[in-house]
Order: sequence, then structure tokens, then C-alpha cells
Amino acid sequence: MAKIKFILNDKPVELDVDPSARLIDVLRVNLNLTATKEGCGEGSCGACVVLMDNKGVNSCLLPIANVIGHKITTLEGFKHTKQFEVLKMCFADEGGSQCGFCTPGMIFAAHSLLSSNPHPNEEEVREALSGNLCRCTGYQSIVHAILRASKEGEGLW
Amino acid sequence: MVKYIPSSLDDALKFLAEHDAYICAGGTDLMVLKRNIAGHLPKFDKDVIYVSNLKEISKIYEDDKYVHIGATATLDEIYNNKLTPELLKKAIGEVASVNIRHFATLAGNIANASPAGDTIVIDYLLDAELILKSVRGERAVKAKDFVLGVRKIDRQKDELITEILFPKTKYDAGMWYKVGSRKADSISKVSVAGIYSIQGGKVSKFALAYGSSAITVRRSEALEKEITGLSQKELANRIEEFVEKYSQTISPIDDQRSTKDYRLLVAKNITRKFLKEVVEAKHE
Ligand SMILES: Cc1cc2nc3c(=O)[nH]c(=O)nc-3n(C[C@H](O)[C@H](O)[C@H](O)COP(=O)(O)OP(=O)(O)OC[C@H]3O[C@@H](n4cnc5c(N)ncnc54)[C@H](O)[C@@H]3O)c2cc1C
Ligand code: FES
Ligand code: FES
Repeated sequence: MAKIKFILNDKPVELDVDPSARLIDVLRVNLNLTATKEGCGEGSCGACVVLMDNKGVNSCLLPIANVIGHKITTLEGFKHTKQFEVLKMCFADEGGSQCGFCTPGMIFAAHSLLSSNPHPNEEEVREALSGNLCRCTGYQSIVHAILRASKEGEGLW
Repeated sequence: MVKYIPSSLDDALKFLAEHDAYICAGGTDLMVLKRNIAGHLPKFDKDVIYVSNLKEISKIYEDDKYVHIGATATLDEIYNNKLTPELLKKAIGEVASVNIRHFATLAGNIANASPAGDTIVIDYLLDAELILKSVRGERAVKAKDFVLGVRKIDRQKDELITEILFPKTKYDAGMWYKVGSRKADSISKVSVAGIYSIQGGKVSKFALAYGSSAITVRRSEALEKEITGLSQKELANRIEEFVEKYSQTISPIDDQRSTKDYRLLVAKNITRKFLKEVVEAKHE
């Protein structure tokens, strides 16, 4: 066990956990924050993606030791932002979410992209989603949702 | 079992001097290897030290001879740094996914010593060197001498990679070719990287390196010597000869990702394409 300090959804947290614990387990088991989903557990599907310092990372591969001193954002925190409002609306309107399991990861892959490139083209959107799998939508609607969010959220990213 | 979070580089080296430990950087290889069922701790069978937050070894900078890339710089940081060699950027741009590149490292890619490690091909091609530090001191080792086999590297238990150095070599053009099962987020079936320069109608610099084509990356100094110095015309007449000779320097295998025959065919095709490009290159 060790004292692990980081910023979670804009609030400082201090936890007594095993440094080797995966971030996803700390979130879901220790903190009962279950918006983050686990699919493959080995970095391939992106269901577990959260933000670390505003960049998408796979929480199933991140030992909590590596999170010390960083800013982690999960959907529980992100849902209060204007960016989320826009993404949520665009995903809903375009049919970018069906069963919803991949959606938290997709939202963060999208936000991570728009933060570094506010006006991506379709190719760049697909590249940004390269690590996020969806079993339902066939991706087209997700790509459209993100392209639309880039327009409708003008100035937010 | 000790799971250690060092406060500084010295602290990390001291720990490594006293413990036989796994080094965890980004963890994108190690966490998969030690994976347990959901909700349980990864299955480590010895101590672990977490180095990803060591700022002292995260810098990217240059001196007269080298571009230095810190061992804990992320692939994303390396990709976005203007000092990074273009070919390395190209290869990084096709490693895993955007999300994984946000925390995986270059040092982790070579230290993992997978035959399919993409950036290792560039390390070999550009004559990169690794700096390894321990409480005993430091040493430099060439990438090609560092990788000994599949998951086997020339590292003593107390050593930590602190930097990877890329000589500032000049060349006219470079090529990076990765063949996977899809465009993004796929492990290489075959990868080939090459550089060349042309001066006065002659090949003045030439190097080729193959990934996923043998236990380790393959580069043939003998063939590079043979090709360097040839005129573009001479090379034009010997393309098939060199395609054949190069194909004999690699020994691809059948595995879950591809077959020996397919890999050999693709490697030959890429070699031919590259040699043609060298033959047709215009020079200043
Ligand atoms: C879904 C997925 C897709 C992937 N796709 C690709 C791909 O397309 N191409 C590719 O090449 N790789 C791929 N990888 C593998 C992996 O992401 C890379 O090898 C990555 O660069 C490893 O870096 P890391 O920092 O995460 O390493 P870690 O997992 O932290 O470490 C890997 C190894 O390196 C050692 N190590 C790390 N840092 C040091 C150091 N400073 N000193 C000494 N030893 C050290 C560790 O002890 C360990 O043995 C993929 C992985 C996943 C999960
Ligand atoms: S659960 Fe993390 S990438 Fe699939
Ligand atoms: S909406 Fe079901 S997995 Fe994407």
C-alpha cells in the first residue's frame, strides 16, 4: 500500500492503494465510479479510455503509480462541461451511440482529438478513433457526430 | 513484494542496485504481460519500480552530434517534437493507437525486444545508441547490440535506460513501410525502413532495415557496402540481384499474424520498390 495523490475530476484525492493496481479498478472498485467500462483489458478496444492531462489513455493498462501528480478526468466529471454537452447532443442526433458500451471511450477519444485539432477532417477523426472499437454502429455515425461537434462546438476546443 | 515509486533518478538507481525488479514505464507491454482478471492486481512475480514520472529522464534535446530522447518521454511527445528524426515520427505515427501513444515510451519499445517492435527498426537504421545508468556509472550501447533475441536484451539488473541517442546523420530521403492487417492499431506483419543519398549520379549513402522478419531487426552491412558507390545506372541493372540477396538476410516465420511466404513476398516487393526509388531519384 502507498499514498497515491492525484487530481480526479478537478478535485485532489489521496488514496491508500497498492501502487500496481490498475486505474480502471481503482475507479470502478475503490471509488465506485462506473462510467468507465472494461472491454478487452489489454489496450485494444478503448472502452476504458479516460483523460490524463486532457489526453485519452487506456485505464486498463495504467498502474495507479503512474497517475501520481496527474489530472484524471472520467465521464462523471466531464459530464458537467460544455464540451460534453455538445458531444452528447451530436452523438445522440447522429445515432453515434447504440448499446453505449463504447461511448465513454469514444467521447474521450473525440475530446482528446478536438483539444489538439479543433477542425479535423474525416481521415483525422478515423485516425483518432483507431484504438476504440464499437460493435454496434459501424463507426460512420460516430465519425459524423465528431465532425458535427467540431462545427457546433466552435470555440470550445 | 515491493512496488516502488522512486522520487528521483538517483533514488531509482539505488533501488535497482538492491532489487531484481521489473521496470514499468508506460506499462503498455508489461501490464498486458502481467494481466490478471478484472478487479485484481496484476500478477507480478518479483518487485516492480514505476519510472514513468521521472522528469529527469523525460527531456528531448540536441547537441552537436545527437538528438537525445529521454526514456520516459511518451511516444506522443516524441512525435510532436521538432527535433525528432522524420523517419522515427513516421514509425511512431503507426504504433498502436493514439491513446496508447499518449503514455507508451520509445525505451519501452526496444527494451521489450519484440520482433514486431516498430521503432526498433528505426533505432537500427539510424544507428541509435542507448544510455544505460546504474549506481556503478553509465555506458552507451548501440541499439543493434542491445537487442539479443526475443525479449532478450543487454541490460544488467541494476541498469536503467535513461536516453536514446540518434546521430544527426543527413540523407536525401527515407522510407518507412509497415504492413499490418489494418491501417491503424495493428501489430506489424512486416516492416521495412530505408534511407539513401545520391551524389553525382552515385549512391552515396544506403541503408535498409527489416522488422518482423527475423528474431531481431535485420540490416546487412555487407550489402549496404556493395550498393554504396554504385551509379544509379549500375544499380538499375542489379535490382533483382539485390532483392534476392536481401531476401536471404531475413528469416520470417509462420505465426498467428501471418505466414513465412507472405512475409517474404512482401519484404521483396518493398525492397524492389525502394531500390527503384533510389534508381529514379533526382539529385541536386
Ligand atoms: C493494443 C496495443 C497495440 C500495440 N501496438 C504496437 C505496434 O503497433 N507497434 C509496436 O511496436 N508496439 C505496439 N505495442 C506495444 C507497446 O505499446 C510498445 O512496445 C511500447 O512502446 C512500450 O512502451 P511502454 O513504456 O509502455 O513499456 P513498458 O510496458 O513499461 O515496458 C516494456 C519493457 O521495457 C522495459 N523498460 C521500459 N522502460 C525501461 C527503461 N527506462 N529502462 C530499462 N527497461 C525499460 C520494461 O521493463 C519492459 O520489459 C502495442 C501494445 C498494445 C497494448
Ligand atoms: S478495456 Fe482497456 S482498451 Fe479494452
Ligand atoms: S454503441 Fe455498442 S459498442 Fe459502440
